[in-house]
Amino acid sequence: MRRPSPSAVRWMLLAALLLLWELMPQTKIVPELFLPSLSKTLTVLWKDRVEYAENLLVTLYEVGVAMLIACGAGILVGALVGGISVLRNLMLPVFSSLYAVPIVILYPIFTAWFGIGSESKIAFAGIYGFFPVMLSTAAGIRTIDPQYMLAARSMGATLPQQIVRVIIPASIPTVLSGLRLGGALTIIGVVVSEMLTASAGIGYLVTRYRTILDSPHVFAAILMILLLSILFDLLARAVERRTLVWQTAGRRVPSAGAATSTTRMPAPAPV
Amino acid sequence: MTAIEVDRLSHIYAGAEGGVPALEDISMTVEAGKFVVIVGPSGCGKTSLLMMLAGLRHQSTGTILCDGRPITDPDPSRVGVVFQEASLFPWLTALDNTEFPLALRGTPRDERRRRAEDMLNLVGLQGFGARFPHELSGGMKQRVSIARGLVQDPPVLLMDEPFAALDEQTRMTMGHELLRIWSKTRKTVVFITHSLTEAVYLADEVLVMSARPGRIVDRIAIDLPRPRTYEMMATDTFGKLRERIWQQIRKPEGTLS
Amino acid sequence: MTQTQIIAARLALLAAILAAWALLPKYGVLDPRLLPPLGDVLAMLGKQLARSQVQEAIGVTALEVVVAFVIAVPIGAAIGVAAAEFEYFGQIFKPMLFYVFSVPKSIFLPMFILIFGIGFPQKVAYAAFSTVFIVIMSATAAVESVKADHVLVARSCGATKAQILWRIYVPSMMPVLLETLRISMIFNFTGVMIAEMYASRTGIGHLIANWGENFQMPELFAGVIMLSVVAICFNEAVRLLEVRVSKWRT
Repeated sequence: MRRPSPSAVRWMLLAALLLLWELMPQTKIVPELFLPSLSKTLTVLWKDRVEYAENLLVTLYEVGVAMLIACGAGILVGALVGGISVLRNLMLPVFSSLYAVPIVILYPIFTAWFGIGSESKIAFAGIYGFFPVMLSTAAGIRTIDPQYMLAARSMGATLPQQIVRVIIPASIPTVLSGLRLGGALTIIGVVVSEMLTASAGIGYLVTRYRTILDSPHVFAAILMILLLSILFDLLARAVERRTLVWQTAGRRVPSAGAATSTTRMPAPAPV
Repeated sequence: MTAIEVDRLSHIYAGAEGGVPALEDISMTVEAGKFVVIVGPSGCGKTSLLMMLAGLRHQSTGTILCDGRPITDPDPSRVGVVFQEASLFPWLTALDNTEFPLALRGTPRDERRRRAEDMLNLVGLQGFGARFPHELSGGMKQRVSIARGLVQDPPVLLMDEPFAALDEQTRMTMGHELLRIWSKTRKTVVFITHSLTEAVYLADEVLVMSARPGRIVDRIAIDLPRPRTYEMMATDTFGKLRERIWQQIRKPEGTLS
Repeated sequence: MTQTQIIAARLALLAAILAAWALLPKYGVLDPRLLPPLGDVLAMLGKQLARSQVQEAIGVTALEVVVAFVIAVPIGAAIGVAAAEFEYFGQIFKPMLFYVFSVPKSIFLPMFILIFGIGFPQKVAYAAFSTVFIVIMSATAAVESVKADHVLVARSCGATKAQILWRIYVPSMMPVLLETLRISMIFNFTGVMIAEMYASRTGIGHLIANWGENFQMPELFAGVIMLSVVAICFNEAVRLLEVRVSKWRT
């Protein structure tokens, strides 16, 4: 007998997981307080859809603004740090040292400064998403094959032409993967900060229903966040694939070596 | 005296439909102290054959005798192996790399230092013992590999395309160096290559293999005088030998179409 | 720029930031209630460190960090090595890991609280949970960084299984292993902090969250500085070790 393909096994595992989610609470193997059944969670979600939709909108608004800040500032700073060697030598080690600090401990400062409304979430999640975007933009620019630049210069490209026609297209793959990671972290940042202190948002719903031990409502919110982050991931990957059709032909991975420790570690998402 | 004796060796790779014959009915004898080169198209199984001679892979049928005793597992006291590029351990210095087989045996430190240094001297790397592989050029790395292959003083040295990754000039120099080392140590060498020039230049005898399944289709004695010189490459004899090997290699593909 | 110039420039940058922090709030350029001057914060840090309540909280947090780490690393390493060594298992699980990575682990924190209540087991369990995935990922990368060629060479030299493990696997993997140790400690520390800030009665994270809610800015900044210094020092120490064991890497 042949072994089923890995992706078939994955789908079966997912199905089994959903089935267990439904059956384990139903058969009382797991108390409903710990894990309410899938059907009950979905029922609750549908019944209170207006509340969930309103709070989802708040979360989406915060995520949107924070992503704009994180990506804009991240690409700008990353381009400067990656392109200018003085800045690179000065700043990159500083950033990688700062990476060790759990950013979440800054959140109480933001609530003290900006209050418990959307501003503090945007500031926190913005910083959270900023780092991966900045680091991968810098890495993307640094790891451009020098041959490309030589070729462009030999054909008489001016500096602006080099930037527009060589540097930007050549660094897009790395920058895009940074944006995907940064976007995921922004979502995480918003949700975490809403869970900690907030008055609205999906994360806030998680915390509010937890304090009154209403498990079905907690899991309904968790399910929404799961779907949100998986949807974002699928969307970002689709965008990457569409933009990078040319890359699959030659399958050019940014040359190894220079970018190792910033690009090799896949996902700094410590929450 | 016979150093290596391969008798009716065949190998079948386990595959989807009953298996793929990779090597078929290989028989060969290598006299002690001879330099034998195996050439053949990609996929003819010459590397597999070498792995079996080294005891690193098991054949389906047939026997391999080395020094009169069968080879079933790696035995560095009888057979040393020099691999393709990048087989040095990057975390060890040149000296530590050379010592490696001795360290595995638990040879006392002083003795293995001394023997490893002797080997590095032999391959022309005196004073480079403390360097890490990434501080050495491609040719120097392969010199260290040769030193490592020789350090246990095995009667047989197997070499799997050792110079394939080097540039043309370094490759020529290294071939010449190898002959010098060989003439000093008088090892039995089995050498695999893609390069016909290299084959003729180095060998006492060239074995030509065909692909799918791998078989020995010709044995060509190279009766050029030793020591070999670069000038010989320009001679008629050299060209004819080279041409004969080439004809043998392209023949099977011709019959296929 | 030479190495010394770079270091000098970095120190100057640091000094400038610290000076700005010390002086700007003091002379009213920034609101000292929002950003207390550096001097006040450091004085507060000294005062807090002398309090037994804070010392106890540090002890609790440290214990949680250590226990969670000791739980997460062996489990993650075992799964990671399995994913690298057994091809079929790896083909199934590796793509799933990428999805797990884009999901915020913190949303499962309520589950841990519902199951374990509020206290030591819950915080340790959550921190271990949030760390285990990065350990799996890194352990897989570590095993895959061992080159098949090197194993073959060792076998040709007659190495036994134990010798291959000790002389090939360990040195090949060492740089990645240390990086794993470092990164997973960052994750682990963050996990403990979130758990403490979210719902807890003890620990530094709990104190920080409290200070923030009560608008005690000098205390809050003192706590943030202390945690940052500890985290950065650990990180740099392991990085130093990484550089030492990986000097053979080009």
